[in-house]
Amino acid sequence: MEPLDQDLEEGELEMPADPMSLNLGPSHPAMHGTVRIVVELSGETITKADVQIGYLHRGFEKMCERGTWNQIYPYVDRLNYVSPMLNNVGFSLAVEKMLGVTVPERSQYYRVALGELARISDHLTCNGAMAMELGAFTPFLWNIRAREMIWDILEEETGARLTHSFGRVGGMAMPPSKYFKDMVRATLPRVLAVVLESEQLLLKNRIFLDRLENVGRISKEDALDFGWTGPCLRSTGVPYDVRRAHPYLVYDRLEFDVPVGSTGDNFDRFMCREEEIRQSIRILEQCMDQMPDEGPMNIDDPRVVLPEKEDVYTTIEATIQHFKIVMEGIKVPAGEVYSYTEAGNGELGFYLVSDGSGTPYRCRIRPPCFAITQCLDKLIVGAMIPDVVPTFGSMNMIGGECDH
Amino acid sequence: MSIVVIDALKQRFAGAILETHAQFGDDTAVVDPDKWFEISRFLRTDSRCAMNMFVDITAVDYPDREQRFEIVMHLRSLERGHRVRLKARIGDPFGEADDDDDDTVQIDSVTPIWQGANWFEREVFDMFGVVFRGHPDLRRILMYPEFKGFPLRKDYPANKIQPLIEFRKVQEKLPPFGPDEGMSFGRQTHEYHRDDPQMIEARAKKPKSKVLLAPSQQKAPASQQKAAVTQQKAPSTPQKES
Amino acid sequence: MTTEAPKPSPAAPAAAPAPPPNTITIDGREIPFEKGDTVIKAAHRAGIDIPHYCWHPGLSVAANCRMCLVELPPPAGRPAMKLEVLKWDAAKNDYVVDTKPKLQPACQQACAPGLAVLSESSEHVADARSAVQELLLLNHPVDCPICDQAGECRLQDYWLEHQRKGKRMKQEVVHKPKAVSFGPTIVYDAERCIVCTRCVRFTEEIANDPVLSVRERGNLNEIVVSPGRELDNDYTLMTEHVCPVGALTSKDFRFKARVWFLRSARTVCQGCATGCNAYLDFDPRNNTPYRHRPRENMEVNKYWMCDDGMLSYSRAIEGRLLEALVNGAEATVEEALADAKGMLAGLAAKPDRVAIVLSAQHSLEDNWALYTLAKAYLGVTRFFVTGKPLGRGDEILMSEDKNPNTAGVLRLCESAPPRPLADLLKVADEFDAVLALGGDIEVDAKELAVLKTKKVVTIASHVGPLSRIAKIALPASSWAEVDGSYVNRQGRVQTSERALVARGSAVPGWLLVGKLGRALGFATNWKRLSELRRAMVGDGPALPSKPGSEVRA
Repeated sequence: MEPLDQDLEEGELEMPADPMSLNLGPSHPAMHGTVRIVVELSGETITKADVQIGYLHRGFEKMCERGTWNQIYPYVDRLNYVSPMLNNVGFSLAVEKMLGVTVPERSQYYRVALGELARISDHLTCNGAMAMELGAFTPFLWNIRAREMIWDILEEETGARLTHSFGRVGGMAMPPSKYFKDMVRATLPRVLAVVLESEQLLLKNRIFLDRLENVGRISKEDALDFGWTGPCLRSTGVPYDVRRAHPYLVYDRLEFDVPVGSTGDNFDRFMCREEEIRQSIRILEQCMDQMPDEGPMNIDDPRVVLPEKEDVYTTIEATIQHFKIVMEGIKVPAGEVYSYTEAGNGELGFYLVSDGSGTPYRCRIRPPCFAITQCLDKLIVGAMIPDVVPTFGSMNMIGGECDH
Repeated sequence: MSIVVIDALKQRFAGAILETHAQFGDDTAVVDPDKWFEISRFLRTDSRCAMNMFVDITAVDYPDREQRFEIVMHLRSLERGHRVRLKARIGDPFGEADDDDDDTVQIDSVTPIWQGANWFEREVFDMFGVVFRGHPDLRRILMYPEFKGFPLRKDYPANKIQPLIEFRKVQEKLPPFGPDEGMSFGRQTHEYHRDDPQMIEARAKKPKSKVLLAPSQQKAPASQQKAAVTQQKAPSTPQKES
Repeated sequence: MTTEAPKPSPAAPAAAPAPPPNTITIDGREIPFEKGDTVIKAAHRAGIDIPHYCWHPGLSVAANCRMCLVELPPPAGRPAMKLEVLKWDAAKNDYVVDTKPKLQPACQQACAPGLAVLSESSEHVADARSAVQELLLLNHPVDCPICDQAGECRLQDYWLEHQRKGKRMKQEVVHKPKAVSFGPTIVYDAERCIVCTRCVRFTEEIANDPVLSVRERGNLNEIVVSPGRELDNDYTLMTEHVCPVGALTSKDFRFKARVWFLRSARTVCQGCATGCNAYLDFDPRNNTPYRHRPRENMEVNKYWMCDDGMLSYSRAIEGRLLEALVNGAEATVEEALADAKGMLAGLAAKPDRVAIVLSAQHSLEDNWALYTLAKAYLGVTRFFVTGKPLGRGDEILMSEDKNPNTAGVLRLCESAPPRPLADLLKVADEFDAVLALGGDIEVDAKELAVLKTKKVVTIASHVGPLSRIAKIALPASSWAEVDGSYVNRQGRVQTSERALVARGSAVPGWLLVGKLGRALGFATNWKRLSELRRAMVGDGPALPSKPGSEVRA
């Protein structure tokens, strides 16, 4: 605040000759997860922008090198923390690719189901938050209510609403609970109803459409060049979905469509996510029908999977198995692998290097929104300050994932 | 399917392809770092490869090797659907881990070929200290600019503590408030502040700041204000002329 | 499972046959062997691990664990030896009669040229290993969480590699005495013991004290100490070292640290002039050493170390001089050096009034630094050496000379051989100042009183009479905190690696000597160990920089 009891002379008043530099963030309600955008303005139009990330960098890749393979799950959860099961599944698949094992069918369906629930909650949050930042507070609250229903299911299954750490190399931590299928089948129509209600509020609203359409446009070639994947890439018209292009788990048995946009602006990104919620609901319905109710959850290899606790306390062999896996880690064969799945924001890649011991040598996380956010400065140059908000919001940059 | 890419590479750059393997199903080629840019451009432009989707660039540190860093790039082709991993081994045995000016380990940047490599290469620079020649804007991305060292190198201990950094000198940014600045409407009523020699001294030394106010918004001349205050304080100790 | 038909021997060539190469093949890989080797020894030399419990390269062969069974081809001209066994047939849900070849223990089978051994590539061997492991774990207590051997236990490693299944016994395990104190250093747990008899053979063959033996038969087997005796010879901790499971544990190390938190540094034992090679296991998180383990060196200590040496790891941090002392009061190293500069001013003018006391407890580098400062810069001609007094030695490993570097100091001053400290004390009036290394002396502390009036500066890692009498005492790093070279009684130069981060204000002794020299105005500028070592050898062969590359000097 300027001191008011100062001597002021006429000659000291100056109009600034330099363009105004404005700092958005990192502590800012619209900067999802601490991003700092330093913009240079001419009036309200942005002439230059510098997007600075790294405020949520927690050194995951360094910390992964200090534990065992199963100890990476809590880190992986906290990457894209609005859809943590997708990260869990992605990492499990990467290590299992190195081990050369496939989990039993029941586990595969379970992984797909929990992953799609996480994807729905991710898209609900993204769209709701974007609408809220434009001033539409109600759809945000309704989306959060729907998200709570999904989180109730996840809490029942995994024990936590957000940071589950539920995946394991070789299966899942626990089999599905008795009421899993019933809960999911009961929740899906309610979620769909909420989505419909939010859309009714937003999609015919002139202000909403004006703020989103033709704002933050990117062409197909640029998006591919920058490494965009996921709903943001599909909104430009490229029908690339890892679940279709390189099917994994049981996605090849499930019928679903891949929503593709045309213009690559904010509105298309918003609509891609809305449609994906519907498609995820479709996948979940099929999963609930197809998932076997009985059968093993984990693979049957004592070098990878922990034994039952009663056996650990009573027999020496199970104690040794538990000891070896927990203390020394799973001995993944030496080598390197790159494994990719469709996470909430796009292709989440894990590049793992193993030296044959139980400790990872290098665990590289390829965050989908890192590639998407690097384009932000190009998208907002030439736009006005208020356009930064929906553009940034529609990219769904999750700080945890971008900064790992 | 991706073997097509490896074959095309081998056909065109026979000498520069040092090793290939397909461990766990991922086709990989280890190439000569001097040909890094050429090979990348070939992969983008050649019709058999058509690698137009940039996926990832990262590095791995093998301190026991003479060429300690291995730069790893993953690419994908949208039309053909195949993927390839390209690796190059670079290193300088005399580089010091803590030296922030160390630019001895270098490789060409592929940002001119795929714009998406921009931030990924910045991250490799930030975490490992590898300099990318030709990068438009090579600075730290995840760490703050005053960070010392390169964290993901194997000889950087995970529990190392960084030195405290100086308050940044940014143009036109005022340092934190002095005792007489800010909350001026409240301060003036507190008697003890007027006599505080530190405050009086600070007021004398304060630089004249440029104020963006319309003439109508200017306050009354300071002399008037001082007279008002002096009247208040007359009974107590005499004031110094500021 | 194939029966090999006896092959006809090839027709002898007309000329004398070439001698057969001294190689055997294990799983198709050809490895050389030496005369008298067994299969497991040849494999051990080549780096191939045939799983074993009771075999040890330094002990006799017992062949009672049966874990090293391998499949051998039948001798030429004879049918393969087969045994009838019952094999479980899942299709019939019953046992069927089957045959398997008789496997031989690799630790007893002598190598013959051309012997083809099947180890991992034979499914019979895999079955045998799995069965042996099952039987060894049959009565084993569920002790992993409290057993010290966890993390370096062969039962754990081999279970995961070779068995990976549960046991088929449903009855209660056999209970035996646990936590039996065998002596002042060792505790025995009979339930964990697999009766491999390594400890029995060790005490009999190496320690020359056959005090342990096996008692009872069958699954009541256990190890006992001879009645009326305790396990109290000088090598008891080696029985704990050879024990492959957690049956024998050291009272000193029990429950102190988990082995996966410990890192190992390759050091040289500082207990006596034998200079046994050792591993110092320390926890880097709290910078504390927890134990010594012997390191294999066939020329010095083979596979063993004595109890005194094993327990000497605590000397790395105990009894240390950690802060500089000026007249008994603590000071910083810089202050102490400034005081030394003042106290020793004018020394260079009268070099024959300065006595230099080298230490057989400190490394070659520390001693050379002081020797060079004295001889090359100050011009001193008379040197003295001190160290710990003589102790008890034996024929096996222990030397009477309890200093690790006596030969090193003697060799250093070849031109002017150093005299013992007692000589200095006799002619103490001829000297004004004493620059000393090390705190321990071999004479009685009371005799040092003559030095009370002299200007004594001591650089020492441990507190001792010589550091207490000093006007200025400077703290040096101990042997575990800095790389150092030591010459043992055989004349071998051995290098010890740095393990711990220096405690207190301790810095390497040679660095302190350099600083002292600079304070006195000399150009003793060595800052790095590599510089010092290069200067030390001059034109001679370089010192071994890494342990394991020792040279005979």
